[in-house]
Amino acid sequence: MSSRHLIAIVFVAALLGFGFAAASTYDFAAHLDRQVHSLHCSFIPGLSSSSPGGSEGCQVTLMSPYSSLFRQTFWGGIPVSLLAMAVFMGVAALAGLMLLVRAELDLLALFSLLVLGTIPVAASLVMGSIAAFKLHAACKQCIGIYLTSLAVGVCALLAYRHGSAAISSRRAGPTHRQWLLALPLTALLLVMLTGSYVLAMPRYDTFAKGCGSLPHLEDRHGVLVHLPAESPNARKALEIFDPLCPACKAFEERLRASRLDKQLQRDLLLFPLDNTCNWMIDNAMHPGSCAVSLAVLCAGERAKEVVDWAFAEQQRIQQQTLRDKNAAAQLVAERFPELRACTTSSVTKARLSQSLRWAVRNQVPVLTPQFYVDGKRLCDEDTDLGLEYTLARMLKGGGS
Amino acid sequence: MKTAVLLLTAAAFAVPTVMVGSWVSSAGERLHAAESARVTSSVAVAAAADESYCTPQLKLVLRRVLKSCGLLESGEVRGCQPTDAKQVATLAGGDFNALFMPMAKRAGVVEFDQNSAVLDPNDQALVDRLFSDQQGASYFFVVARASPEGSVEHNRELSKQRAEGVMAYLREKYKDPDLDREVGLLWLGEEFAQLDQRFCEWQRSGAADSCQSENLNRSAFLSWIDCQL
Repeated sequence: MSSRHLIAIVFVAALLGFGFAAASTYDFAAHLDRQVHSLHCSFIPGLSSSSPGGSEGCQVTLMSPYSSLFRQTFWGGIPVSLLAMAVFMGVAALAGLMLLVRAELDLLALFSLLVLGTIPVAASLVMGSIAAFKLHAACKQCIGIYLTSLAVGVCALLAYRHGSAAISSRRAGPTHRQWLLALPLTALLLVMLTGSYVLAMPRYDTFAKGCGSLPHLEDRHGVLVHLPAESPNARKALEIFDPLCPACKAFEERLRASRLDKQLQRDLLLFPLDNTCNWMIDNAMHPGSCAVSLAVLCAGERAKEVVDWAFAEQQRIQQQTLRDKNAAAQLVAERFPELRACTTSSVTKARLSQSLRWAVRNQVPVLTPQFYVDGKRLCDEDTDLGLEYTLARMLKGGGS
Repeated sequence: MKTAVLLLTAAAFAVPTVMVGSWVSSAGERLHAAESARVTSSVAVAAAADESYCTPQLKLVLRRVLKSCGLLESGEVRGCQPTDAKQVATLAGGDFNALFMPMAKRAGVVEFDQNSAVLDPNDQALVDRLFSDQQGASYFFVVARASPEGSVEHNRELSKQRAEGVMAYLREKYKDPDLDREVGLLWLGEEFAQLDQRFCEWQRSGAADSCQSENLNRSAFLSWIDCQL
C-alpha cells in the first residue's frame, strides 16, 4: 500500500472519528439545558440507538465524572469529546492538505501526522481503560472513536515508515518546515472550540440557590443516620435516601467521584420506596427496602457499611424479595447477624415510621434521592452533570 | 492550489467552532424557555395517611373526641371518661363501636385479667405490634373498658387504670416526644359501648380458643387512625 493510500485512510478515519466525537459532544451539549435527552449511540456516527436500552452504556459514560473536565468551574464541565473533535479535525485537515499538495513523502509532514495521530491513540487507551475497568460500560460511540483512533495511529505510523524508507532509497521529496505548524494549529483549534463552548454557555449560578428548603430540620425522634465527617469544617448536608434505590447509588458514586463528599457532614433520612412500610406509595418500587432500612437504623456508626452492602447487593436483594417477601430481612440477618435483635424490635420499626413522618412534616416530594445543604435542596436537574458545579457553589454559600 | 489550502484550513477551524457554538447556544435557549415556563412539580408530596374509611361523619366524631379528650394539641385534658365520651361522640354505644370496624387490620384488643390493669407479656407484645406499625396514621386510640362485674364506679376507675397502664407502657418503651399529641385515651368502664362478639375475630392478646364477652370488655382497644383531621 502506498504512502498516499495510507494518508487517504488516515483522512477518512479522522473524519469518521470527528463524526463520532461531534455526535458525543452534541449529546453532551444538549444536556446543558438541564433536561433529560435521548442519546446518539451507534457504530455509525450520529445515528441513535435502535434497540431499547441500547444506549445504556453511552448514558453511563456520558454521565460519568470522566466525560468532562473542569466540572467545578463550568456546569457539566468541558466534554472530553470536544478535545477529540479538535484532534480529529486537526488530523483530517493535515491529511487532506497532504493529499491536496501531494506531500505524502515529505518527512516533516509525515512526522507531524504521526505526532497528531498518536494523540487519539493515547487518549483512547486511557479512556478505554476507564470505561472497561472503572465504569464497566461499553459505549458504541466511544468504541467508534477508539477504532478510528487506532486506524489513524497505525496508518500514520506506516506512512511515516514509508517516508523514512524513501529517504533511505533517496526517493523522498522536499521537506517543508511549515508542516510542523500542524500541532500548534490543532492546539489553537482546541482553544477556539473550548472558547466557543464556554462563551455560548448559559448562566447557571442562580440554580445554586437550590430548589426548596426544609422547614423543620430538628430531629426529635432520633431518626437521622449520621455519617462521620472527614473535615472539622464540614457543612451539614442531608440526603433523603432509599438504600435499594439505583438512583441513590448512582448519586453516591458521583458524589464520591466529585470528592465534595469530603466537605460534608452527611445525615441520611431513610425513605424506603417500599409499601410494606411506606404508605405514600401503592407498590414496592424497591422491594425489601424497608427491611434494609431497619438495618441501617440499627447499625449506628456502621451505617455506612450497611449502606455500601445494600448498594452492592441491590439487584439480588430486590429479586429475591420479589420471590419471597421475607428474603431481604433474611439477607440482612445473614450478613449482619449482630443487628438481628434490633431490626426485629418494635422500637426500631416505630423509628422507621417516624423517619417517614419526618418527611411528612417537611412536606418533601415522594422521591429519592434528595440532597439538602444547610436545609436547601439541590435541584434534581443538578444531581448529575451539574453536581460538582452547583454543589461547590452551595458549599461556598452559593447563589449570591 | 494556495486558495484551496487556505479554504481547507479555514473550514477546519470554522466548521467545528460554529457547530459547537450553535449546539451550546440552542441548549441555553431551551434552558431559558424551560425556566420561563416552569410549572409546579407534579411529584407527590409526603403526607399523612387518609384512608377511604375516613368518612366525614367519622372525622367529625374523631375530632370531637380528640378535642374533648385532650388531644389536637391542647395538652390540657388527658383522657375521657364515660360521660364525656357519650356526650362528645353523640352516638349510641353500638354506633360508636361501628366507627372502628373498618380499622380491623390496624386494631387489636388487649385483654386484661379480671380486676387487673397489668399488662402481661402477651399484652405487651400486642401493644408493641400495633403501636410500632404507625405508618401514616396521626392518632392512636386507647379505649379501655371493664366487664360488668363490680360497681360502676370501680369499673370506671379500673378502665381508667387500664388506659393509663397502656399509656405508661408506651411512654416508658418508646420515649416518643409526640406521644401526648398522638395517643387519645378513653375509659368507658362498663357504661358505654361494650364490645360484642364481632370483635372476637380481631387481634387479641387473650386465649385464641375462647372469646367471652366479659374477656372482650376487660380490655383496652387499640388502633391507629389513618385519618387526617
